[in-house]
Amino acid sequence: MTLELQLVLLAWGTLVGLDLISVPQMMIARPIVAGPVAGAILGDVATGLALGVVFELFQYDILPVGAARYPEYGPATVAAVSAAQAGAGSFGLGFGVLVGLTTGLLGGVSLHLVHRLNARAVDAAAPALEAGDPQVLVRLHVAGIVRDAARAALVTGVGLVLAQLARVFLAGAYTLRGVAGLAVAGAAGALAVGTAGTLRRVGRGPCLRWFAVGLAGGTVVAWLS
Amino acid sequence: MKPALGQSLLRLFTVQGSWNYERMQGIGVGVAEEPLLRPLVRNGDQTAYRAAVARGAHFFNAHPYLCGLVVGAAARAEHERAAPEQVERLRAALCGPLGSLGDRLVWTGWLPFTTALAIAGVALGLGLTAVGAFLVVYNLGHVALRWWALRAGWAHGLRVGSALHQPLLQRAAAWSGPAMALAVGLALPLAARYLAAPFPAGARAVLAGLAATGTALLVWRRGQLDGLRFGLLLLVAALVAGQAWR
Repeated sequence: MTLELQLVLLAWGTLVGLDLISVPQMMIARPIVAGPVAGAILGDVATGLALGVVFELFQYDILPVGAARYPEYGPATVAAVSAAQAGAGSFGLGFGVLVGLTTGLLGGVSLHLVHRLNARAVDAAAPALEAGDPQVLVRLHVAGIVRDAARAALVTGVGLVLAQLARVFLAGAYTLRGVAGLAVAGAAGALAVGTAGTLRRVGRGPCLRWFAVGLAGGTVVAWLS
Repeated sequence: MKPALGQSLLRLFTVQGSWNYERMQGIGVGVAEEPLLRPLVRNGDQTAYRAAVARGAHFFNAHPYLCGLVVGAAARAEHERAAPEQVERLRAALCGPLGSLGDRLVWTGWLPFTTALAIAGVALGLGLTAVGAFLVVYNLGHVALRWWALRAGWAHGLRVGSALHQPLLQRAAAWSGPAMALAVGLALPLAARYLAAPFPAGARAVLAGLAATGTALLVWRRGQLDGLRFGLLLLVAALVAGQAWR
């Protein structure tokens, strides 16, 4: 993979990471968007779509409310698509999920650190804020966004390094059966997490019936198509 | 006031840019409110303006798409010379309801509903078209909600609570749960078929078994085992098995 492609992925991952919380929350941070675009950058839309679906299912485990801490799957999906180039076709999916989940974990930790840094900056500027200084207010806000962009770039960068390591060291160390097993584990994990996360949201009320109706309908459509 | 509302709306798209554990969205809300407060500067006297800017940046936390409601309402209250305590009370009173409504409408409704349709579309072979359609449809709702919230807040001021009782909003909140459940239910079997398609029959059976066992485990150990850890554990087990079974 060329350096130019890595840099384009880094730029895309940074935008994706910025979108999650800071600007503009238009959901390019969702894996179902981040993955296919990363795939298109690498000329492998199919793998991007597959990993987009996988991490979108992992995302169903997360409810981003209040000060909840959660993994960040946007830049993680970008790194995952890069890592998946280690295997032929869908068999690279397992490497992608492995790198993506690790990057997602790091992304979650980095979010927590940036929020703490923001709190420290707010503390330091408290007198000016209480005096209603609009310039300090705007500067503090812009600094927060810049901090988040740097964080997103760093997380994507680390993810891309992990992807490179997976391509160099892991890909050759496994037989085709081992690579396929990893891909099966990644897909099964995503389906389990997506189903369990949805069941948690749905609860035991009337929504459960709607979920059951959807499952039945989806099964019929899957069988017919 | 229209240009200021537009500027405020643009700034609302960055409302969580400086999110922190101290004031949560407070700084972002203050930044978005500031353009609406500029007319409070009268004959070069900034006292009222600065006091309002300071109040605007105090602690606030709600759903980011609905922050416009408090931005508009608090700014209108400041223009109407409401007592500072009243403005603070308004902000405090809106945190809970806006958070709860936004979570129901967006995080557990509109967002999973539209992403589930995107997953179903990808699984049915629509590819990038499904992804593009998701971005367009989701953001139509997203931008409309942000714009409605800001305008409703500005229109109602201290009586903004009445805006939350709009029949359309109540109906949307009531239907978002069932619609999400139906769409995700529809998407899951399609996603399973799509992800399992490249594998031979034996591997597909293993995939189905692992997914079913994993779901049961995650539901049973809820609170102790999250999705990320479960996924990593499964992959580490597969890595070890792949090394051992050559």
